[in-house]
Amino acid sequence: MFRGTFLRWLSVGLLWLATGSALPAAAEQITVFAAASTTDAIRDLAALYEKEKGVKVTASFAAASALAKQIEQGAPADVFISADLKWMDYLDGKDKIAKTSRRNLLGNRLVLVAPKGQRFPVKLEKGFDLPGAFQGRWCSCGPEVPIGRYSQQALTALGWWTALEPRLAAAPDVRSALAFVERGECAVGIVYETDAKVSDKVEILGVFPADTHSPVLYPAALVQGAKPAAQGFLDFLLTPAAAKVFRQHGFTVLD
Amino acid sequence: MWPSLQPTPEELSALWLSLKIGLWCTALIAVPGIITGWLLARVRFPGKAIVDGLVHLPLVLPPVVPGYLLLLLLGRQGPVGRWLHEIWGVALAFTWQGAVIASALMAFPLMVRAVRLAVALVEPRLEEAARTLGAGPLRVWLTVTVPLALPGVLTGLVLAFARSLGEFGATVTFVGNVAGETRTLPLAIYTYTQIPGGDGPALRLVVISVLLALAALWASELGARRVERMLGASGREYAGA
Repeated sequence: MFRGTFLRWLSVGLLWLATGSALPAAAEQITVFAAASTTDAIRDLAALYEKEKGVKVTASFAAASALAKQIEQGAPADVFISADLKWMDYLDGKDKIAKTSRRNLLGNRLVLVAPKGQRFPVKLEKGFDLPGAFQGRWCSCGPEVPIGRYSQQALTALGWWTALEPRLAAAPDVRSALAFVERGECAVGIVYETDAKVSDKVEILGVFPADTHSPVLYPAALVQGAKPAAQGFLDFLLTPAAAKVFRQHGFTVLD
Repeated sequence: MWPSLQPTPEELSALWLSLKIGLWCTALIAVPGIITGWLLARVRFPGKAIVDGLVHLPLVLPPVVPGYLLLLLLGRQGPVGRWLHEIWGVALAFTWQGAVIASALMAFPLMVRAVRLAVALVEPRLEEAARTLGAGPLRVWLTVTVPLALPGVLTGLVLAFARSLGEFGATVTFVGNVAGETRTLPLAIYTYTQIPGGDGPALRLVVISVLLALAALWASELGARRVERMLGASGREYAGA
């Protein structure tokens, strides 16, 4: 009796899963590897593109360094969007991207955030004692991840790096760093302005002056051997419609 | 292709950290593990099935689940974590102590299972004999049950230590991946696999992990043989008595 009921429910469950996954199959499918900070924007754009062109866009979000390594090792990506020039250059140097397809898409800013309600006065300029202004750790990423490298540059320029380096809690990517700050495990964090705007659990304490770090640029390119359909998506990212979505998410759109 | 075999200070720190966390984890769960294993093997009490289930959950759950629950419970904003922080000034996130808690939770069921099996195999007549000779329950437990279950206890300890060395999901979820504090061997290896050009250090750490695992197996084998010899001798004494 019990066995019969169990099997019946199991088959109902499996049937449900099967019909759920049997959505109308898109004619074509491309894979985008994109820096974690572009998560929401690229997700929106992928949905938009799929609706307009019927091409299914699957996106994988992680630190640009991790994605670059995966692409280097032959991951089946069609489009790569990095959060800095370094990792795009790296793949370029290894002939892993189609050189002529490469262009700089977006810009972003670096901000200092704190958990909501734990704001404290901060001046992001030389002479202010940021290491003495909070206790415990600060969250960002290791120096191989773009946000970690920008953070290191900015903190070095402002004279805080030596004091703050041992207090870094390095997350695997910028969104994980943001999550640590949201939960209050870190008193402050350095993330992109666009990430800070995604979250209603953090507040921006200040924007790092642009001259303290190399400009935050997002290059995009086709990966060598990309499917022909990928060119269409890359072109779509340069349209005014896509620019509007990027701006809604707080990015600077480059011409 | 083959990098130098000389580990860097960072890699060595991952090794020491793993050993430290593994030893603390093993020490932390040794006594509770023996007691719980014995309770589950020998004692009938209300809610036993629930205790049994709860103890074994970490073994069957994806490790990220216990890690996340620990974070929700013991994190700075969690009910227990907030209390710890406000009353005692203790914050576990990003500390090696937090990593010990995470791996202890994951290793506990292995310890309990090994002990439970070993206790179940202890001949009850030997315990009864000790009781008829006037030994109290605690004395029977300490001088008959636990020593006879020693091979199982030892196996449990080695399994717990190995589990702690290999623990990844719960640790990275609960205490993050902070160099020198919570970046144990597996986390360090993973970190290097995420960095282009990180294959050299990753491979060195892989070699270290293999050597460490072999050393642990060899040590447990040696210990088990010694205990067997000891038990063999005392077994003959019991038989003679």
